[in-house]
Amino acid sequence: MNAVAMADGMHDVTPSRDGGVAVHGLTRRFGHGPAVLDGLDLTIAPGEFVALLGHSGSGKSTLLRTLAGLDPVHEGTLARPDAVSVVFQDSRLLPWKRVWDNVVLGQAGADRRERAVAVLGEVGLGHRVDAWPLTLSGGEAQRAALARALVREPAFLMLDEPFAALDALARLKMQRLVARLWARHGCAVLLVTHDVDEALMLADRAIVLDHGRIRTDLAIPLDRPRHHADPGFIHLRGALLDALGVHDD
Amino acid sequence: MPANVIPSASVRWHGRTVFQCVDARALLRYAAPVIAVLLWQGACSAGIVSTRLVASPVQVIMTGWGLLRDGTLGANLGVSLARAAAGLAIAVVLGVGLALVSGLSRLGEDIVDAPLQILRTLPALAMVPLFILWFGIGETPKIALVALGATFPVYLNLHKGIRSIDPRLLEMTRTLGLSRMQTIRDVILPGALPDLLVGLRFAVGMSWLMLVVAEQVNAESGIGHMMMEAQDFMRTDIIMVGLVIYGLLGLVSDQVVRLMERAFLSWRPVHGRGQAA
Repeated sequence: MNAVAMADGMHDVTPSRDGGVAVHGLTRRFGHGPAVLDGLDLTIAPGEFVALLGHSGSGKSTLLRTLAGLDPVHEGTLARPDAVSVVFQDSRLLPWKRVWDNVVLGQAGADRRERAVAVLGEVGLGHRVDAWPLTLSGGEAQRAALARALVREPAFLMLDEPFAALDALARLKMQRLVARLWARHGCAVLLVTHDVDEALMLADRAIVLDHGRIRTDLAIPLDRPRHHADPGFIHLRGALLDALGVHDD
Repeated sequence: MPANVIPSASVRWHGRTVFQCVDARALLRYAAPVIAVLLWQGACSAGIVSTRLVASPVQVIMTGWGLLRDGTLGANLGVSLARAAAGLAIAVVLGVGLALVSGLSRLGEDIVDAPLQILRTLPALAMVPLFILWFGIGETPKIALVALGATFPVYLNLHKGIRSIDPRLLEMTRTLGLSRMQTIRDVILPGALPDLLVGLRFAVGMSWLMLVVAEQVNAESGIGHMMMEAQDFMRTDIIMVGLVIYGLLGLVSDQVVRLMERAFLSWRPVHGRGQAA
Protein backbone atom coordinates (compact mmCIF):
# COMPACT_ATOMS: atom_id res chain seq x y z
CA MET A 1 0.00 0.00 0.00
CA ASN A 2 1.23 3.42 -0.77
CA ALA A 3 -1.08 5.73 1.02
CA VAL A 4 0.95 8.78 0.22
CA ALA A 5 1.07 8.45 -3.53
CA MET A 6 -1.80 10.30 -5.12
CA ALA A 7 -3.24 8.79 -8.26
CA ASP A 8 -4.89 11.18 -10.61
CA GLY A 9 -8.10 9.49 -11.62
CA MET A 10 -9.78 12.31 -13.44
CA HIS A 11 -8.81 11.93 -17.10
CA ASP A 12 -12.33 11.27 -18.31
CA VAL A 13 -14.03 13.92 -16.27
CA THR A 14 -15.10 16.92 -18.31
CA PRO A 15 -16.32 20.12 -16.71
CA SER A 16 -20.03 20.53 -17.24
CA ARG A 17 -21.17 23.76 -18.88
CA ASP A 18 -24.32 24.43 -16.92
CA GLY A 19 -23.09 23.36 -13.45
CA GLY A 20 -25.11 20.16 -13.45
CA VAL A 21 -23.89 16.58 -13.32
CA ALA A 22 -24.22 14.13 -16.22
CA VAL A 23 -23.13 10.49 -16.04
CA HIS A 24 -23.47 8.19 -19.05
CA GLY A 25 -22.78 4.48 -19.29
CA LEU A 26 -20.56 4.49 -16.20
CA THR A 27 -19.26 0.98 -15.57
CA ARG A 28 -16.84 0.01 -12.88
CA ARG A 29 -15.61 -3.40 -11.85
CA PHE A 30 -12.81 -4.46 -9.51
CA GLY A 31 -10.61 -7.14 -11.06
CA HIS A 32 -12.71 -9.71 -12.86
CA GLY A 33 -15.61 -9.54 -10.43
CA PRO A 34 -19.13 -8.46 -11.25
CA ALA A 35 -19.69 -4.83 -12.21
CA VAL A 36 -20.14 -2.59 -9.17
CA LEU A 37 -21.54 0.11 -11.44
CA ASP A 38 -23.21 -1.28 -14.55
CA GLY A 39 -23.77 1.17 -17.40
CA LEU A 40 -25.16 3.76 -15.04
CA ASP A 41 -26.87 6.91 -16.32
CA LEU A 42 -27.58 9.80 -13.98
CA THR A 43 -28.36 13.45 -14.46
CA ILE A 44 -28.50 16.01 -11.69
CA ALA A 45 -29.76 19.45 -12.65
CA PRO A 46 -28.02 22.57 -11.30
CA GLY A 47 -29.33 23.27 -7.82
CA GLU A 48 -31.15 19.96 -7.58
CA PHE A 49 -31.11 17.96 -4.35
CA VAL A 50 -30.87 14.22 -5.04
CA ALA A 51 -30.86 11.50 -2.41
CA LEU A 52 -29.11 8.25 -3.27
CA LEU A 53 -30.31 5.16 -1.47
CA GLY A 54 -29.46 1.49 -1.73
CA HIS A 55 -28.32 -1.49 0.24
CA SER A 56 -24.71 -1.97 1.26
CA GLY A 57 -22.77 -3.12 -1.78
CA SER A 58 -25.20 -1.57 -4.24
CA GLY A 59 -22.47 0.73 -5.59
CA LYS A 60 -23.42 3.94 -3.73
CA SER A 61 -19.94 4.56 -2.39
CA THR A 62 -18.26 3.73 -5.69
CA LEU A 63 -20.54 6.15 -7.51
CA LEU A 64 -19.85 8.90 -5.02
CA ARG A 65 -16.11 8.27 -5.07
CA THR A 66 -16.13 8.42 -8.87
CA LEU A 67 -18.11 11.66 -8.85
CA ALA A 68 -15.68 13.08 -6.28
CA GLY A 69 -12.72 12.21 -8.50
CA LEU A 70 -11.29 9.71 -5.99
CA ASP A 71 -11.89 6.74 -8.28
CA PRO A 72 -11.03 6.78 -11.99
CA VAL A 73 -13.53 6.58 -14.83
CA HIS A 74 -12.72 3.43 -16.82
CA GLU A 75 -15.85 3.09 -18.92
CA GLY A 76 -18.40 5.77 -19.65
CA THR A 77 -18.38 9.53 -19.36
CA LEU A 78 -18.79 11.92 -16.50
CA ALA A 79 -19.39 15.66 -16.67
CA ARG A 80 -19.57 17.71 -13.51
CA PRO A 81 -18.75 21.22 -12.31
CA ASP A 82 -15.18 22.02 -11.30
CA ALA A 83 -16.22 23.35 -7.93
CA VAL A 84 -17.23 20.25 -5.97
CA SER A 85 -17.02 19.46 -2.27
CA VAL A 86 -17.42 16.26 -0.30
CA VAL A 87 -18.54 15.69 3.28
CA PHE A 88 -17.74 12.19 4.50
CA GLN A 89 -19.31 10.10 7.21
CA ASP A 90 -16.37 11.02 9.43
CA SER A 91 -15.36 14.65 9.64
CA ARG A 92 -11.74 14.08 8.53
CA LEU A 93 -10.51 17.26 10.17
CA LEU A 94 -6.77 17.61 10.62
CA PRO A 95 -6.29 17.33 14.39
CA TRP A 96 -3.22 19.59 14.32
CA LYS A 97 -4.99 22.57 12.81
CA ARG A 98 -7.54 24.68 14.64
CA VAL A 99 -11.11 24.48 13.42
CA TRP A 100 -10.95 27.69 11.38
CA ASP A 101 -7.67 26.62 9.77
CA ASN A 102 -9.23 23.29 8.80
CA VAL A 103 -12.14 25.05 7.16
CA VAL A 104 -9.96 27.11 4.83
CA LEU A 105 -7.35 24.39 4.33
CA GLY A 106 -5.57 24.98 1.02
CA GLN A 107 -7.41 28.28 0.45
CA ALA A 108 -5.24 31.27 -0.30
CA GLY A 109 -5.84 34.92 0.48
CA ALA A 110 -5.43 37.38 3.32
CA ASP A 111 -9.09 37.04 4.32
CA ARG A 112 -8.83 33.32 5.05
CA ARG A 113 -9.74 33.67 8.68
CA GLU A 114 -12.64 36.05 8.06
CA ARG A 115 -14.09 33.64 5.50
CA ALA A 116 -13.71 30.73 7.91
CA VAL A 117 -15.34 32.64 10.74
CA ALA A 118 -18.24 33.65 8.49
CA VAL A 119 -18.98 30.13 7.29
CA LEU A 120 -18.52 28.66 10.77
CA GLY A 121 -21.11 31.14 11.99
CA GLU A 122 -23.40 29.93 9.25
CA VAL A 123 -23.21 26.32 10.45
CA GLY A 124 -23.60 27.36 14.10
CA LEU A 125 -19.98 26.89 15.15
CA GLY A 126 -19.10 30.53 15.68
CA HIS A 127 -18.06 29.77 19.27
CA ARG A 128 -15.59 27.00 18.29
CA VAL A 129 -13.51 28.88 15.72
CA ASP A 130 -10.21 28.46 17.60
CA ALA A 131 -10.89 25.03 19.10
CA TRP A 132 -8.77 21.97 18.38
CA PRO A 133 -10.76 19.40 16.35
CA LEU A 134 -10.23 16.62 18.91
CA THR A 135 -12.15 18.67 21.46
CA LEU A 136 -15.26 18.84 19.25
CA SER A 137 -18.31 16.63 19.67
CA GLY A 138 -19.35 14.40 16.76
CA GLY A 139 -22.04 16.85 15.66
CA GLU A 140 -19.71 19.83 15.93
CA ALA A 141 -17.04 18.03 13.89
CA GLN A 142 -19.54 17.30 11.11
CA ARG A 143 -20.62 20.95 11.15
CA ALA A 144 -16.99 21.95 10.72
CA ALA A 145 -16.67 19.48 7.82
CA LEU A 146 -19.78 21.02 6.28
CA ALA A 147 -18.28 24.48 6.71
CA ARG A 148 -15.09 23.27 5.01
CA ALA A 149 -17.18 22.05 2.07
CA LEU A 150 -19.23 25.26 1.84
CA VAL A 151 -16.37 27.75 2.04
CA ARG A 152 -15.28 26.53 -1.41
CA GLU A 153 -18.66 27.64 -2.83
CA PRO A 154 -19.31 24.34 -4.59
CA ALA A 155 -21.70 24.06 -7.52
CA PHE A 156 -22.07 20.39 -6.59
CA LEU A 157 -21.96 19.15 -2.99
CA MET A 158 -21.64 15.45 -2.18
CA LEU A 159 -22.71 14.22 1.25
CA ASP A 160 -21.66 10.65 2.00
CA GLU A 161 -23.86 9.52 4.90
CA PRO A 162 -22.78 12.62 6.78
CA PHE A 163 -25.14 12.12 9.71
CA ALA A 164 -24.89 8.34 10.07
CA ALA A 165 -22.54 8.48 13.04
CA LEU A 166 -24.53 11.13 14.94
CA ASP A 167 -27.11 10.59 17.65
CA ALA A 168 -30.76 11.00 16.67
CA LEU A 169 -31.09 14.55 18.01
CA ALA A 170 -27.90 15.81 16.42
CA ARG A 171 -28.97 14.16 13.16
CA LEU A 172 -32.29 16.05 13.12
CA LYS A 173 -30.51 19.34 13.76
CA MET A 174 -28.00 18.62 11.01
CA GLN A 175 -30.76 17.74 8.53
CA ARG A 176 -32.45 21.08 9.20
CA LEU A 177 -29.13 22.85 8.86
CA VAL A 178 -28.45 21.19 5.50
CA ALA A 179 -31.93 22.12 4.27
CA ARG A 180 -31.33 25.77 5.25
CA LEU A 181 -27.86 25.89 3.72
CA TRP A 182 -29.05 24.31 0.48
CA ALA A 183 -31.85 26.86 0.19
CA ARG A 184 -29.32 29.65 0.66
CA HIS A 185 -26.46 28.38 -1.50
CA GLY A 186 -28.50 26.73 -4.23
CA CYS A 187 -25.86 24.16 -5.17
CA ALA A 188 -26.67 20.74 -6.59
CA VAL A 189 -26.51 18.13 -3.82
CA LEU A 190 -26.09 14.37 -3.85
CA LEU A 191 -26.87 12.88 -0.45
CA VAL A 192 -25.96 9.25 0.09
CA THR A 193 -28.08 7.89 2.91
CA HIS A 194 -29.67 4.77 4.39
CA ASP A 195 -32.44 6.77 5.95
CA VAL A 196 -35.65 6.94 3.91
CA ASP A 197 -37.10 9.70 6.10
CA GLU A 198 -33.96 11.78 5.68
CA ALA A 199 -34.19 11.45 1.90
CA LEU A 200 -37.84 12.46 1.91
CA MET A 201 -37.27 15.42 4.24
CA LEU A 202 -34.49 16.91 2.15
CA ALA A 203 -34.44 15.81 -1.47
CA ASP A 204 -36.19 16.78 -4.72
CA ARG A 205 -35.63 13.30 -6.04
CA ALA A 206 -34.70 9.94 -4.55
CA ILE A 207 -32.71 7.36 -6.50
CA VAL A 208 -32.44 3.74 -5.46
CA LEU A 209 -29.31 1.96 -6.63
CA ASP A 210 -29.33 -1.81 -7.01
CA HIS A 211 -26.51 -3.92 -8.40
CA GLY A 212 -24.87 -0.94 -10.03
CA ARG A 213 -27.99 0.31 -11.81
CA ILE A 214 -30.62 2.85 -10.95
CA ARG A 215 -33.65 0.80 -10.05
CA THR A 216 -36.00 3.56 -9.01
CA ASP A 217 -36.01 7.27 -9.72
CA LEU A 218 -38.67 8.87 -7.58
CA ALA A 219 -39.60 12.56 -7.69
CA ILE A 220 -40.53 14.05 -4.31
CA PRO A 221 -42.92 16.87 -5.19
CA LEU A 222 -43.63 17.91 -1.60
CA ASP A 223 -43.67 21.50 -0.36
CA ARG A 224 -41.08 22.57 2.14
CA PRO A 225 -40.86 22.52 5.11
CA ARG A 226 -41.93 18.92 5.12
CA HIS A 227 -43.59 16.92 7.86
CA HIS A 228 -43.46 13.24 8.65
CA ALA A 229 -47.22 13.10 9.17
CA ASP A 230 -48.09 14.57 5.78
CA PRO A 231 -50.16 12.05 3.71
CA GLY A 232 -47.95 12.65 0.65
CA PHE A 233 -44.90 11.97 2.78
CA ILE A 234 -46.35 8.72 4.09
CA HIS A 235 -47.29 7.65 0.59
CA LEU A 236 -43.81 8.31 -0.82
CA ARG A 237 -42.26 6.63 2.19
CA GLY A 238 -44.17 3.44 1.32
CA ALA A 239 -43.10 3.69 -2.32
CA LEU A 240 -39.46 4.21 -1.43
CA LEU A 241 -39.39 1.38 1.11
CA ASP A 242 -41.02 -0.81 -1.51
CA ALA A 243 -38.26 0.04 -3.96
CA LEU A 244 -35.70 -0.88 -1.31
CA GLY A 245 -37.40 -4.24 -0.86
CA VAL A 246 -38.78 -3.46 2.60
CA HIS A 247 -42.47 -4.36 2.62
CA ASP A 248 -45.11 -3.77 5.27
CA ASP A 249 -46.65 -7.02 6.34
CA MET B 1 -17.00 -1.18 76.16
CA PRO B 2 -14.65 -2.59 73.55
CA ALA B 3 -17.50 -3.34 71.18
CA ASN B 4 -18.23 0.39 71.01
CA VAL B 5 -14.71 1.68 70.85
CA ILE B 6 -13.24 -0.49 68.17
CA PRO B 7 -15.55 0.47 65.26
CA SER B 8 -15.38 4.23 65.89
CA ALA B 9 -11.61 4.13 66.23
CA SER B 10 -11.21 2.14 63.06
CA VAL B 11 -13.46 4.50 61.14
CA ARG B 12 -11.45 7.52 62.23
CA TRP B 13 -8.24 5.75 61.42
CA HIS B 14 -9.59 4.76 58.05
CA GLY B 15 -10.53 8.36 57.26
CA ARG B 16 -7.04 9.52 58.04
CA THR B 17 -5.33 6.89 55.90
CA VAL B 18 -7.06 8.18 52.80
CA PHE B 19 -5.17 11.44 53.15
CA GLN B 20 -2.03 9.97 54.57
CA CYS B 21 -1.78 7.40 51.80
CA VAL B 22 -1.22 10.04 49.13
CA ASP B 23 1.49 11.80 51.13
CA ALA B 24 3.03 8.55 52.27
CA ARG B 25 3.34 7.18 48.76
CA ALA B 26 4.87 10.35 47.39
CA LEU B 27 7.18 10.49 50.40
CA LEU B 28 8.17 6.86 49.94
CA ARG B 29 9.05 7.43 46.31
CA TYR B 30 11.56 10.10 47.30
CA ALA B 31 12.58 8.43 50.52
CA ALA B 32 13.67 5.13 48.98
CA PRO B 33 16.59 6.52 46.96
CA VAL B 34 17.59 8.81 49.83
CA ILE B 35 17.66 5.84 52.20
CA ALA B 36 19.70 3.87 49.67
CA VAL B 37 22.27 6.68 49.49
CA LEU B 38 22.36 6.92 53.29
CA LEU B 39 22.93 3.16 53.57
CA TRP B 40 25.70 3.45 50.99
CA GLN B 41 27.31 6.27 52.97
CA GLY B 42 26.90 4.28 56.18
CA ALA B 43 28.51 1.20 54.66
CA CYS B 44 31.49 3.25 53.46
CA SER B 45 31.90 5.12 56.75
CA ALA B 46 31.68 1.93 58.78
CA GLY B 47 34.34 0.36 56.60
CA ILE B 48 32.07 -2.44 55.41
CA VAL B 49 32.71 -1.42 51.80
CA SER B 50 36.21 -0.48 50.73
CA THR B 51 36.33 3.14 49.50
CA ARG B 52 38.91 2.02 47.00
CA LEU B 53 36.24 0.02 45.22
CA VAL B 54 33.28 2.33 45.84
CA ALA B 55 33.64 5.96 46.77
CA SER B 56 31.22 7.21 49.42
CA PRO B 57 28.49 9.68 48.39
CA VAL B 58 30.11 12.47 50.41
CA GLN B 59 33.39 11.77 48.68
CA VAL B 60 31.71 11.83 45.25
CA ILE B 61 30.13 15.18 46.03
CA MET B 62 33.39 16.63 47.33
CA THR B 63 35.32 15.35 44.30
CA GLY B 64 32.64 16.65 41.94
CA TRP B 65 32.82 20.07 43.61
CA GLY B 66 36.60 20.01 43.35
CA LEU B 67 36.55 19.06 39.67
CA LEU B 68 34.00 21.78 39.03
CA ARG B 69 36.11 24.43 40.80
CA ASP B 70 39.38 23.62 39.05
CA GLY B 71 37.64 23.62 35.67
CA THR B 72 38.31 19.97 34.80
CA LEU B 73 34.66 19.01 34.86
CA GLY B 74 33.48 22.05 32.92
CA ALA B 75 36.06 21.59 30.17
CA ASN B 76 35.38 17.88 29.74
CA LEU B 77 31.63 18.36 29.93
CA GLY B 78 31.85 21.05 27.27
CA VAL B 79 33.77 18.73 24.96
CA SER B 80 31.29 15.89 25.52
CA LEU B 81 28.29 18.11 24.98
CA ALA B 82 29.75 19.51 21.77
CA ARG B 83 30.39 15.99 20.44
CA ALA B 84 26.91 14.79 21.31
CA ALA B 85 25.30 17.91 19.86
CA ALA B 86 27.28 17.68 16.61
CA GLY B 87 26.57 13.96 16.21
CA LEU B 88 22.90 14.39 17.04
CA ALA B 89 22.55 17.31 14.64
CA ILE B 90 24.03 15.23 11.82
CA ALA B 91 21.77 12.32 12.76
CA VAL B 92 18.64 14.48 12.72
CA VAL B 93 19.46 16.02 9.34
CA LEU B 94 20.40 12.63 7.88
CA GLY B 95 17.53 10.69 9.46
CA VAL B 96 14.88 13.26 8.54
CA GLY B 97 16.24 13.59 5.01
CA LEU B 98 16.34 9.85 4.37
CA ALA B 99 12.91 9.31 5.94
CA LEU B 100 11.42 12.02 3.73
CA VAL B 101 12.95 10.47 0.61
CA SER B 102 11.77 6.95 1.42
CA GLY B 103 8.48 8.01 2.99
CA LEU B 104 7.27 10.29 0.24
CA SER B 105 8.13 8.28 -2.86
CA ARG B 106 8.05 4.62 -3.74
CA LEU B 107 11.27 4.84 -5.72
CA GLY B 108 12.93 6.50 -2.75
CA GLU B 109 11.72 3.74 -0.46
CA ASP B 110 13.11 1.05 -2.76
CA ILE B 111 16.49 2.74 -2.88
CA VAL B 112 16.84 3.96 0.70
CA ASP B 113 14.85 1.65 2.96
CA ALA B 114 16.37 -1.77 2.25
CA PRO B 115 20.04 -0.77 2.79
CA LEU B 116 19.10 1.10 5.96
CA GLN B 117 17.14 -1.84 7.33
CA ILE B 118 20.18 -4.05 6.77
CA LEU B 119 22.58 -1.54 8.34
CA ARG B 120 20.23 -1.13 11.28
CA THR B 121 20.74 -4.72 12.36
CA LEU B 122 24.48 -4.09 12.78
CA PRO B 123 25.36 -3.11 16.34
CA ALA B 124 26.70 0.41 15.80
CA LEU B 125 29.39 -0.11 18.43
CA ALA B 126 30.91 -2.87 16.31
CA MET B 127 31.92 -0.12 13.90
CA VAL B 128 34.37 1.41 16.41
CA PRO B 129 37.54 -0.32 15.05
CA LEU B 130 36.61 0.54 11.49
CA PHE B 131 35.80 4.15 12.39
CA ILE B 132 39.17 4.56 14.07
CA LEU B 133 40.91 3.23 10.96
CA TRP B 134 38.83 5.45 8.70
CA PHE B 135 38.67 8.66 10.70
CA GLY B 136 41.75 8.44 12.94
CA ILE B 137 41.59 9.33 16.61
CA GLY B 138 40.43 12.95 16.45
CA GLU B 139 36.93 14.32 16.88
CA THR B 140 35.62 12.85 13.62
CA PRO B 141 35.21 9.18 14.66
CA LYS B 142 33.45 10.18 17.90
CA ILE B 143 30.97 12.47 16.20
CA ALA B 144 30.51 9.92 13.41
CA LEU B 145 29.75 7.18 15.92
CA VAL B 146 27.14 9.30 17.68
CA ALA B 147 25.63 10.24 14.32
CA LEU B 148 25.54 6.61 13.20
CA GLY B 149 23.76 5.41 16.31
CA ALA B 150 21.27 8.28 16.47
CA THR B 151 20.32 8.33 12.78
CA PHE B 152 18.39 5.07 12.87
CA PRO B 153 15.83 5.93 15.55
CA VAL B 154 15.11 9.23 13.76
CA TYR B 155 14.80 7.55 10.37
CA LEU B 156 12.75 4.54 11.48
CA ASN B 157 10.22 6.50 13.50
CA LEU B 158 9.71 9.30 11.00
CA HIS B 159 9.41 6.79 8.15
CA LYS B 160 6.78 4.87 10.10
CA GLY B 161 5.01 8.13 10.93
CA ILE B 162 4.83 9.20 7.29
CA ARG B 163 3.65 5.77 6.16
CA SER B 164 0.95 5.52 8.79
CA ILE B 165 -0.77 8.82 7.97
CA ASP B 166 -4.52 8.15 7.91
CA PRO B 167 -5.34 7.46 4.22
CA ARG B 168 -8.77 9.02 4.79
CA LEU B 169 -7.09 12.35 5.50
CA LEU B 170 -5.09 12.08 2.28
CA GLU B 171 -8.29 11.28 0.40
CA MET B 172 -9.89 14.35 1.94
CA THR B 173 -7.02 16.57 0.76
CA ARG B 174 -7.53 15.22 -2.75
CA THR B 175 -11.19 16.20 -2.75
CA LEU B 176 -10.15 19.66 -1.53
CA GLY B 177 -7.73 19.95 -4.45
CA LEU B 178 -4.59 20.43 -2.35
CA SER B 179 -1.31 20.32 -4.24
CA ARG B 180 1.35 17.73 -3.45
CA MET B 181 3.46 20.31 -1.63
CA GLN B 182 0.50 21.57 0.38
CA THR B 183 -0.38 18.00 1.35
CA ILE B 184 3.17 17.33 2.54
CA ARG B 185 3.31 20.59 4.49
CA ASP B 186 -0.17 20.55 6.03
CA VAL B 187 -0.93 16.85 6.41
CA ILE B 188 2.02 14.49 6.15
CA LEU B 189 4.67 16.38 8.12
CA PRO B 190 2.45 17.49 11.02
CA GLY B 191 0.91 14.02 11.12
CA ALA B 192 4.32 12.39 11.38
CA LEU B 193 5.67 14.86 13.95
CA PRO B 194 4.64 12.79 17.02
CA ASP B 195 6.61 9.84 15.64
CA LEU B 196 9.59 12.07 14.82
CA LEU B 197 9.67 13.28 18.43
CA VAL B 198 9.54 9.69 19.71
CA GLY B 199 12.46 8.94 17.39
CA LEU B 200 14.30 12.00 18.70
CA ARG B 201 13.95 10.78 22.27
CA PHE B 202 15.44 7.42 21.35
CA ALA B 203 18.15 9.20 19.36
CA VAL B 204 19.14 11.37 22.31
CA GLY B 205 19.47 8.30 24.53
CA MET B 206 21.42 6.53 21.82
CA SER B 207 23.83 9.43 21.36
CA TRP B 208 24.86 9.38 25.04
CA LEU B 209 25.45 5.65 24.79
CA MET B 210 27.60 6.08 21.69
CA LEU B 211 29.49 8.94 23.31
CA VAL B 212 30.40 6.89 26.39
CA VAL B 213 32.03 4.22 24.25
CA ALA B 214 33.66 6.66 21.83
CA GLU B 215 35.24 8.65 24.66
CA GLN B 216 36.45 5.60 26.52
CA VAL B 217 38.06 3.88 23.58
CA ASN B 218 40.24 6.65 22.31
CA ALA B 219 40.00 10.17 23.59
CA GLU B 220 42.06 13.03 24.97
CA SER B 221 39.16 14.81 26.62
CA GLY B 222 35.53 14.44 27.54
CA ILE B 223 33.67 12.88 30.46
CA GLY B 224 34.47 9.35 29.25
CA HIS B 225 38.14 10.19 29.01
CA MET B 226 38.06 11.70 32.49
CA MET B 227 36.63 8.42 33.78
CA MET B 228 39.16 6.26 31.95
CA GLU B 229 42.00 8.36 33.31
CA ALA B 230 40.58 7.98 36.80
CA GLN B 231 40.56 4.23 36.32
CA ASP B 232 44.35 4.28 35.92
CA PHE B 233 44.68 5.99 39.32
CA MET B 234 41.98 3.88 41.02
CA ARG B 235 39.93 7.05 41.58
CA THR B 236 36.48 5.52 41.96
CA ASP B 237 35.20 8.89 43.16
CA ILE B 238 35.97 10.53 39.81
CA ILE B 239 34.50 7.59 37.91
CA MET B 240 31.31 7.98 39.91
CA VAL B 241 31.20 11.71 39.27
CA GLY B 242 31.29 10.80 35.57
CA LEU B 243 28.44 8.32 36.02
CA VAL B 244 26.36 10.94 37.83
CA ILE B 245 27.03 13.45 35.03
CA TYR B 246 25.99 10.92 32.35
CA GLY B 247 22.83 10.17 34.31
CA LEU B 248 21.98 13.86 34.65
CA LEU B 249 22.67 14.48 30.95
CA GLY B 250 20.30 11.70 29.98
CA LEU B 251 17.63 12.98 32.35
CA VAL B 252 17.89 16.61 31.24
CA SER B 253 17.94 15.85 27.50
CA ASP B 254 14.92 13.57 27.84
CA GLN B 255 13.07 16.37 29.61
CA VAL B 256 14.00 18.78 26.83
CA VAL B 257 12.40 16.48 24.23
CA ARG B 258 9.33 16.09 26.46
CA LEU B 259 9.01 19.87 26.58
CA MET B 260 9.28 19.95 22.78
CA GLU B 261 6.46 17.41 22.59
CA ARG B 262 4.33 19.54 24.85
CA ALA B 263 5.01 22.63 22.76
CA PHE B 264 4.53 21.07 19.31
CA LEU B 265 1.72 18.64 20.06
CA SER B 266 -0.56 20.96 21.97
CA TRP B 267 -3.43 19.85 19.73
CA ARG B 268 -3.53 16.50 21.45
CA PRO B 269 -6.24 16.37 24.11
CA VAL B 270 -3.78 15.14 26.76
CA HIS B 271 -1.69 18.29 26.45
CA GLY B 272 -4.34 20.57 25.10
CA ARG B 273 -6.84 20.63 27.94
CA GLY B 274 -8.66 23.94 27.86
CA GLN B 275 -6.78 25.07 24.77
CA ALA B 276 -9.89 26.33 23.01
CA ALA B 277 -9.49 30.08 23.23
